[in-house]
Amino acid sequence: MPLARVDLESLLRTRRLDRTLTTALPPLDPRDDAACAPSGVFSLDARLGGGFPRGQLSEVVGPRSSGRTSVMLQLVAAATGRGELVALVDALDMFDVESAAAAGIDLDRLLWIRGHVVSNPGMCRDTNQRALEQAIRAFTLVLHAGNFGVVVFDAAEAPADAIRRLPFTTWLRLQRIVEGSQTTCLLVGAEPMARSSAGLTLRLRPEGSRASERVGIEDLGRGIRFGKCLFEGLTIDGRVVRARVREREEATVAFSTVAADCA
Amino acid sequence: MPSPSNPQSPTPNPFGKPLYACLYRPPALDHSAASASTLVDIAQQFSPRYERHRDDLVSIDVTGLGHLLGPAPVIGEELQRDATSRGLHPHIAIGGTRMAAMLVALARPGLTVIECGGEAEALAPITVGLLATIDFQVSTFSAERSELRLETLQRWGLRTLGELAALPPADLVARLGRQALTWQAMARGEDIRPLVPTLEEERFESSLDLEWPIEGLEPLSFVLTRLLEPLSTRLERRDRGAAVLHVVLRLVTRQEYARRLQLPSPLRDVRTLRTLALLDLESHPPDAAIDRVAVIIDPTPGRVLQHTLFTRAHPTPEQLSTLVARLGALMGHDRFGAPAVVDTYRPGAFAMTAFATEHKPDTRKSEVRSLKSEGEDTSDFRLQTSDFSRVVSALRRCRQPVPARVAMADGRPVRVTTDRRGFAGGAVTRCAGPWRSSGNWWNTATGKSEVGSLKPESPSVSLTPVSLTPVSQTSDFRLQTSRAWARDEWDVALNDGAVYRIVQDRVTEAWFIDAIVD
Repeated sequence: MPLARVDLESLLRTRRLDRTLTTALPPLDPRDDAACAPSGVFSLDARLGGGFPRGQLSEVVGPRSSGRTSVMLQLVAAATGRGELVALVDALDMFDVESAAAAGIDLDRLLWIRGHVVSNPGMCRDTNQRALEQAIRAFTLVLHAGNFGVVVFDAAEAPADAIRRLPFTTWLRLQRIVEGSQTTCLLVGAEPMARSSAGLTLRLRPEGSRASERVGIEDLGRGIRFGKCLFEGLTIDGRVVRARVREREEATVAFSTVAADCA
Repeated sequence: MPSPSNPQSPTPNPFGKPLYACLYRPPALDHSAASASTLVDIAQQFSPRYERHRDDLVSIDVTGLGHLLGPAPVIGEELQRDATSRGLHPHIAIGGTRMAAMLVALARPGLTVIECGGEAEALAPITVGLLATIDFQVSTFSAERSELRLETLQRWGLRTLGELAALPPADLVARLGRQALTWQAMARGEDIRPLVPTLEEERFESSLDLEWPIEGLEPLSFVLTRLLEPLSTRLERRDRGAAVLHVVLRLVTRQEYARRLQLPSPLRDVRTLRTLALLDLESHPPDAAIDRVAVIIDPTPGRVLQHTLFTRAHPTPEQLSTLVARLGALMGHDRFGAPAVVDTYRPGAFAMTAFATEHKPDTRKSEVRSLKSEGEDTSDFRLQTSDFSRVVSALRRCRQPVPARVAMADGRPVRVTTDRRGFAGGAVTRCAGPWRSSGNWWNTATGKSEVGSLKPESPSVSLTPVSLTPVSQTSDFRLQTSRAWARDEWDVALNDGAVYRIVQDRVTEAWFIDAIVD
C-alpha cells in the first residue's frame, strides 16, 4: 500500500529530514513586536517597521563614510541594552573599541571575532581572500551556536572582487541557518551581498551625494559637518529596499550622526 | 569468653548486636593537621563504615568484627595496637551505641569497653558539660541544631549525665522544650541518629589500553566516547559536573602526552566533552600514535539553573564552550573574545578578555516600541532628524596604519594620497585639527623623555590568550606595549566623499591614515 503524503511527511519530520533547501521553518509573524530588533534610531526604526527583522539576512551597504558602521554599532548597542548577546565577525579587523563604548555597547555581551588580515599581501594576493573565507566559517559557527540576539558580519572594507569570489551558495546556506530563529543577521558591506526574501537592504550615503554622477565639492560637503575646528558628524540619507512577493517596496530615511567628541 | 547459653553472665560483645568504637585524640601541643587523616586511616583498617565527626573524633561501626578478631576487648586492643604503631595514643571506647562510645571516649583516657546494656550506668558519672562539646544535628533530616542550655542545668544543681537522665521527661520538656528529650537520650547513651558513613573522595577516571595504536582524531573520537559515557553517568548520579578534563595519552614512544582542559562551567554532556577534547587535540596534536587513552575528570557540584519565561534565551554554557573551542581552533585563541577599554589616552587602545559563557539574564523590560507605519505608504518623504537617540559617529581603525603622503598648505593638509589599494586618496575639501596627543613618555629607564615613533608594525593592542577558563569577576588585561607616542591628528574629508583620521608622527614626521569615519 503506497504511503500517503501525510504519512511520508510525518516520517520525514520524525527523522528530522523535513527541511531542504526549498523548505523552511515558518517565519516569525511580522506583526509581532519581538519579530524585529530595534536599532534605537527612531526615524530608522519607523521606516524599517520596528527594526531589523529577526531570522533573516539583512544588509547595511554604502560607500565609505556613509554611516554604515555607526548604524551597526547603534544596533549592537540597542541589542546589548536589551540583554542580548551579540557576535561581531570583523573580517578585516577594523572594529574600534572606543567608538563602541561611546555608542553605549555593553562590551561584556559582545563576542568580537577578529579576522586575520595582511596589510600588504604583495604576491600573496589570496591571503586576504582566505581571511574572508575564514571569517565566513567563523560566521557560520556563530550562527550554528544559536541564541545570539544579533550577529554581524562586517566586510565593509573588503574588495568587491573578494566578495564576489565567495560561492553564491554561501549566502543561501547562511540564510538557511538563521531562518526561523530569533537572531538578527546583519551584513555590512560596500555593495549588496545577500539578502533573504524577508530581509531588507539599507543603502546609506551622505546627504547630497549622488551615486554615479559627477558632483561638485559643494554637493559632497552637505552630508559631512565640520564645525569651526572640529568634525561634528555626518548627515545620512538612507533608502530601505525590501522585497515583497509582488511589489518592491522602498522608503527613505534620514538621520544624523554625532562625533564622539561632540556627543 | 562470651556464652550465648549463659545470658546471665555479662557478655560485652554478644554476636549479632551492633557494636561501635570511637576514637578521640585529645588536643596536644604537637597536634598537626595530619592527625585527622591518621584517625581516618586507623578506621579504614577496621571497617568501611566510619564517620568522621571532627578532626579529632571518629566513630567506627565494628559490628561483625567479633567473627574476625574476637570480643570487644580484643577489638579495642587491636585498635590500640594499630594506633600505637602510628605514634598515636587516642582515647578508645567500645560500646553497644555510638553515643555511649563517644561520650566515654571523650571522658576517659585509654581503652574502655562498655558492657552491653550498661551504657547508662557507664555514662552516669560523666560530667554533664561534656554534652556541650558534641555538635549534633537533632535529627538526620534536619539542619536544626540544639544548643544545650548548660547554665540552666548547672543552676538546677545537675552535675552528671546520670542526674540528667534521672529527671522526669515530662517536667524536663515543660521547662526546656522538646530538645531536652534529645539531651536526656544522649545522657542515657542512646543514639539519636544512625551513623552516616564518610565516603571516600570518588575518583572519576577511566582508561583503555588499545590493541592497535591509533592515529588521527576520528578513531580517537570513538575511544573518548566509550570512556566518557560511564563517567558521565556516574557524574549524573552524584549530581556533579566536570570542572577540569584531563586527557592522558600514552604514545608508542612510551611518552605520556597530557592535555588539561579547564571548563568554564560544570559539564557532563558526553558529546560536548568529547568535542572539546577533540578540538583541543586538533590544535595540539600528539607526536606519535596512541596506544593508551586515559580520561580523568575533576568533579564539581552541578550548576543549578532557574529558567525564566520572560527573558530572552541565551546560548547555554555548553553551546558557548563548544563555540569558543571551535573558534579557537579556527581563528586562534587570541583572535576573539570580549573587548574592553583600557585606562590610557593612546588612541585605539583596547584589551581582549575571555568571553563569559554565563551571562545573567537582563531583567529590564525591553523597550519595544511599535513603530510600524500605518498603512502601506511608500511615498518618498523625509523625516526630520530627531534627538530620540544620538547616533555616534564611529571609526573604523586601520589596525596597521596606512602610510600616506600629505601635501600641506598654510599649515593645513590639502591633499592625501597613498599607495595602498583601496585608499586612493584625493584633495582635501574640509579638515579639522591638529589635535596633539602624546603619552607614555614617562616610561623610560633613564628618566629622560623619549618619544617612540609610530610604526605600522606596532599596533596599540593587547592580546590576552583566551582559554577555556572560568571568567572571573574582574577582567584580566594588560597592555602589551607601553611605548611613548606623540602625534598630531586631523579629521579630513576628501573629494571622494570619505572622511579619514590622519595622523602625523611628530618624531618621524611620517603621515598615516589611522581610521575611517563611517
